[in-house]
Amino acid sequence: MKTFTFHVSGTHCASCKILIEDVLNEQDFIQNARVDLKKEIVEIETISDLSSEKLADVLTDKIKSNGYILSVEKTVKEKQRDDVIWKALPIGLGLLVLFFLLQKSGILNIGIGGQTTPITSFVIGLIASVSSCLAIVGGLVLSLSAKISQDNVSDTKTFTLFHTGRVVSFAVLGGVLGAVGGAIGINFTLTAILGILASVVMLLLGLNLVGVLKKNKIALPSGIFNFFRSVEHKTFTPLILGFATFFLPCGFTQSMQVSALSSGSFISGSLIMFAFALGTLPMLLLLSFGSASFAHGKHAPLFFKTAGVVVIGLGLFALLAGLAGLGIINPLFNI
Amino acid sequence: MNKTALSIITLGLIIGIGIIFLSGSKSSSETALTQPGQNVEIRDGVQYITIDAKGGYFPRVSSAQADIPTKLIVKTNGTYDCSSALVIRSIGYQKVLSQTGEEIIDIGTSQTGSSVQGTCSMGMYNFVVNFI
Repeated sequence: MKTFTFHVSGTHCASCKILIEDVLNEQDFIQNARVDLKKEIVEIETISDLSSEKLADVLTDKIKSNGYILSVEKTVKEKQRDDVIWKALPIGLGLLVLFFLLQKSGILNIGIGGQTTPITSFVIGLIASVSSCLAIVGGLVLSLSAKISQDNVSDTKTFTLFHTGRVVSFAVLGGVLGAVGGAIGINFTLTAILGILASVVMLLLGLNLVGVLKKNKIALPSGIFNFFRSVEHKTFTPLILGFATFFLPCGFTQSMQVSALSSGSFISGSLIMFAFALGTLPMLLLLSFGSASFAHGKHAPLFFKTAGVVVIGLGLFALLAGLAGLGIINPLFNI
Repeated sequence: MNKTALSIITLGLIIGIGIIFLSGSKSSSETALTQPGQNVEIRDGVQYITIDAKGGYFPRVSSAQADIPTKLIVKTNGTYDCSSALVIRSIGYQKVLSQTGEEIIDIGTSQTGSSVQGTCSMGMYNFVVNFI
């Protein structure tokens, strides 16, 4: 019996350890397999007579479909990661350029006059979902979706809960605004602080997706990790997150909230916000379920890194804008 | 594709983003160039500065006289985007403007060399009035 140590790449989650060990232990020539996630190594005890290179190839075949690669030399892994990031960087930046050009073009500033009806608020929702609000709400949805898909195979339930929570709470809160009328105003400073929090989360997740945090062994604070774990595994948290998006800073949301406020009744306020949330839904669904399908596909590593680049870009944009909105820094741009 | 080509593309895209961010919006720079001070009017001893809010604030930079009572007139016209959610920190003003209409905001009397800055709630649109 011999003992081999291989470098493993593609391990991004705690459950990866269990998965790899399960698969490797199923092979009849392996006595014992042990994964060390911190060092990114796999130790196996085997009765096989193959050379270490051959063995790495054979075993990689078994776990390649899950995105893991075993190698004798650590450098091989580094090279692959670099290749992916070099592709992900231009793709991600290209998407960011398209997004900001779209904002700059003024196409989205279509005037919709007259009374706000559920139909106009649906149209405004459609516009809002590709506007600069996408930078913050969409960026958050994309980063969370990519992260959840990366860690969890059964992500559909989480996404469904999140979007249901979002649409339902928009309808309910819109109704409350309509019923209460002018008595409550949603504080700008509060929404701005929430926006900054969201952009910090986006930056952290983006760096994590690109692999910077993992590479330098800077782990996210454990509180944040626990938070994500609860996002993945509980029913309640995605619903709450969907609820919280009501308060994220987005000019369109805020102006719809005012329409709901002045609408005068629970039903009309609720209808306005519900229609608005429905309008934003197609784009957000595309982002989360799109992430899921990419994440389980062949190009998963490229997708995660590209998503990371996009999320970092949007997060920086939202953070700088949010700080300027709070008057902490001078506005750096006007887009 | 090889790494060199990809890094050249990356560099080009970064420059592209820089240009998008740093160049002023087209319509705002035109307004500023063709009609300086046209949005400022003094009536009955009160200085009115008109700013259009839709997809940003226009003109982005205005010059006005110092030491006289000044009011901003912020015009909205089917404005649903962030520019309808106006914040002027220096006077503690924040309001979501009605979608179409005019909002008159008293910003008091400003000293020479000071400026008043407004942003939208998300911070990506802004305007500034310089007092000279």
